Amino acid sequence: MAPRPVLFKCLMCGHEYDGMYDADNVTERTCPKCRSNSVRRLPAKKDK
Amino acid sequence: MMDVGRHPNVELMSFSEVESVSGFVGNFHVTVRKKARYVDPSECTACGECEKVCPVAVPDEYQQGFSSRKAIYLPFPQAVPSSYVLDMENCLGNNPIACGKCADVCEKECINYDDQDELVNFEVGVIIAATGMDVYDPTEYDEYGYTRFDNVITSMEFERLICAGGPTGGHFIRPSDHESPKSIGFIQCVGSRSKDGRGNPYCSNICCMNTVKDTLLLCDHYPGVEAKVFYMDIRAFGKGFEDLYIRSKEEGVKYIRGIPGDVVEDSQTKNLVLNVENTTTGKIEKHELDLLVLSQGVIPRRDGAQIKQLLTLSSTSDGFVMESHPKLKPVDAPTKGVYIAGCVESPKDVKDSVTQASAAAARASILLNAGKTKIEAITSNVDIEKCNYCDVCSKVCPYNAILSADKKTNKPPTIIEAACAGCGACAAECPQDAISMRHFTDEQIMAQVDALLSVDPHKHLIVFACNWCSYAGGDMAGTSRLQYPTTCKLIRTMCSGRVDEKFVLQAFRLGAPMVLVSGCHFSDCHYINAVHWTQKRMDRLWNKLDRLGIRADRLQLEWISAAEGQKFAKVMRDMEEKLKQVTEEEIEYTMKKLEEEAKKEEEKKAKKAVKRAKVTQDQEVNA
Repeated sequence: MAPRPVLFKCLMCGHEYDGMYDADNVTERTCPKCRSNSVRRLPAKKDK
Repeated sequence: MMDVGRHPNVELMSFSEVESVSGFVGNFHVTVRKKARYVDPSECTACGECEKVCPVAVPDEYQQGFSSRKAIYLPFPQAVPSSYVLDMENCLGNNPIACGKCADVCEKECINYDDQDELVNFEVGVIIAATGMDVYDPTEYDEYGYTRFDNVITSMEFERLICAGGPTGGHFIRPSDHESPKSIGFIQCVGSRSKDGRGNPYCSNICCMNTVKDTLLLCDHYPGVEAKVFYMDIRAFGKGFEDLYIRSKEEGVKYIRGIPGDVVEDSQTKNLVLNVENTTTGKIEKHELDLLVLSQGVIPRRDGAQIKQLLTLSSTSDGFVMESHPKLKPVDAPTKGVYIAGCVESPKDVKDSVTQASAAAARASILLNAGKTKIEAITSNVDIEKCNYCDVCSKVCPYNAILSADKKTNKPPTIIEAACAGCGACAAECPQDAISMRHFTDEQIMAQVDALLSVDPHKHLIVFACNWCSYAGGDMAGTSRLQYPTTCKLIRTMCSGRVDEKFVLQAFRLGAPMVLVSGCHFSDCHYINAVHWTQKRMDRLWNKLDRLGIRADRLQLEWISAAEGQKFAKVMRDMEEKLKQVTEEEIEYTMKKLEEEAKKEEEKKAKKAVKRAKVTQDQEVNA
C-alpha cells in the first residue's frame, strides 16, 4: 500500500498535525511540539 | 584475496548472488546464483588475447569511467579468480550476426556463449554478512558543480587518477585539458554531517584521513603543488592519524576551516573559483583552483534492504545494519548465527573492518566448534487446540521463526525454537490466544496486573516496560537519583511487542486511571522490528477506546532507551499530571463498559467453541 496523508494527534499535548502514513513501513512518531511518542493516527472521516 | 582463493577450506564464489536463506542457527539453507561468466575460470589463463580482438568498447566502471574496457574483460588487475568475464549485455555475440572473435583466438577454448546462470544450494552453520557500502553521489550538491564542471571530481575519481594502475598510469591530470593541475582543493563532508536534508546526518568516518593521505600523495609526487582542504573539523582520532595530519600541514597543505558556499567555473581557463567563509578569521575568501576534489561520504549499500530481508537483519536510523548489542555483542546480528563485519555495520576504515572481521570469524568458529548452542528459554509455544490456522503469527515474527500454517492440509504453525528470540509479538497478535510465551504467559502478566490493582487501583499508573530499554531506563533514572512519582507500577515484558491488547484493557477494567506502554526506539529494537507491531496495536487500541467512549489519551505510548533515565522520569511525572485529570466517574464508566465488553467477548467465544465442537463432531461422524 502506498503512503497516504493522514492526521496525527498527540495524546500528551493535544497537538494535531498532518503527516504521511505507510502501513508497510511504520516509522517512529514524535510530536513536533512536545516530543512525546503518544501520537495517534486519527481514523479517516468517511465521506457522507 | 589470493590467500582466500587458494585456501583449502574456503570456497570462493565470486560473481555470484545469494538468492535465498532459510533455516536457523546451525542449519541455514542457502541458495546462491552463480552468474554466467561465459568464460570457464578453471581454464582461463588470463592471457588477454580475447580482449585484444574484442571490437566493443564501453566505459570501465573500475576506472570510474575515465577509460574504456572491452566486452570481454578482467574486472580489475588483482581479481580472484584471475579469469576474464564476458559482458553479454554489450557483447556482439556470435548469433545472429557472428562476431565470435574472442572464441576464435582463445587457445584454451574456454569461451562458451551458451553459458547459463547456475543455482547452487548448500547448508551452513553460521553466516557472516560483510557486504560493504556504497559511496555518496554528490550531484545533489549542485552548488559544487559536480558533472557540470569538468574539473570537479570525487575522491574516488582522484584515487584512480593518481594510481599507477589507473587510466593515466599515475600521471595526475585534470580532465578538461589533461594538464597537471598546480592548485587543488578538497571539500570535506560532502554528503556527511548534513542537516539540510541533503546527504546524511552521520560522519562517514574515513573521509578526513583519506584526504590527508591524498594531500601527502600529491606533495610526494608533485612537489610545489598547492593543496587546500576546506573542512568543518578534521577527525584524526586513530593510531598515528594525528601524526599524518601534522605531516600534511608541515608539507604546506593549507587547511581552511569553512565549507564553500558555491563554485564558479571560468569558461576560458576552466579554473574554479570557490567562495568560502573562513570561520577562523571570520572573513569571506575567494580561492582559484585548477581542480576540485569532493570528499564524498559513504552510504549503506543500495541493495541493502534485500540483504537485510534475506538475513532478517535490523536497520539503524542511518540504514546500516544494527548489531545485537553495541558493547557486548558488537559483531552479532540479532538473528542467531548471523554475524556482521565491516561497513555493512557502519562506516569504518580498513583496520577497523579487519578487526571486526576477525572478531566475527572468531565468534563464528566458537559456535561451529562447540557444535551446539544454547537457545532462549523464553520462546513461544502454539496450542494447536486453540489455533484456527489464520497464520497471523508467521507474518508477525521478525525472525521468520514460525513456519506457516496451512488450513487445507490441517498443518498448524510450527515454531522453530532455535530461531525464536522471544519477543512475544506473535503471542500478542494471535487473535485466538493460541500462542503463549514461556515465562511471560498471559496468565502471569494478567496476574501482575491484577495484583498491582488489587488495592486503590485509581491511584496507580500501570506501566508496561520492555526489558532492554524502558525498564533499563527506569533503572538508569533510579541509579541517577532522579525523582519520579511512586504511583507508577512497572510490569516488565521482554519487548513492548508482547503487550497484548487484553493486558491494557484488563488494567482499565480493574480501575487503572492511566496506562503507559513503553519500549525501545525503533532504531534500538532488540527484536528487529517487533516495535512496529506495538505501534500498530496501539493505533487499534486507541480506536477501540474511542469507540467505547473512553478517552484515548488515558493510554500513552513512549519510546525510552536504556540511557534515557531523564526521559523516563519526565514521562512518569507527565503521566502523574495526566492521572490527576482522570475523574472518578470516568474510571467507573470505563470499568462498567469494559466489563460489559468482556462479557460479550466471553459469550462470543463460548458460541465459537460450541460451533467448533459441533464441526469436529460432524467430521468424526462422517469419518
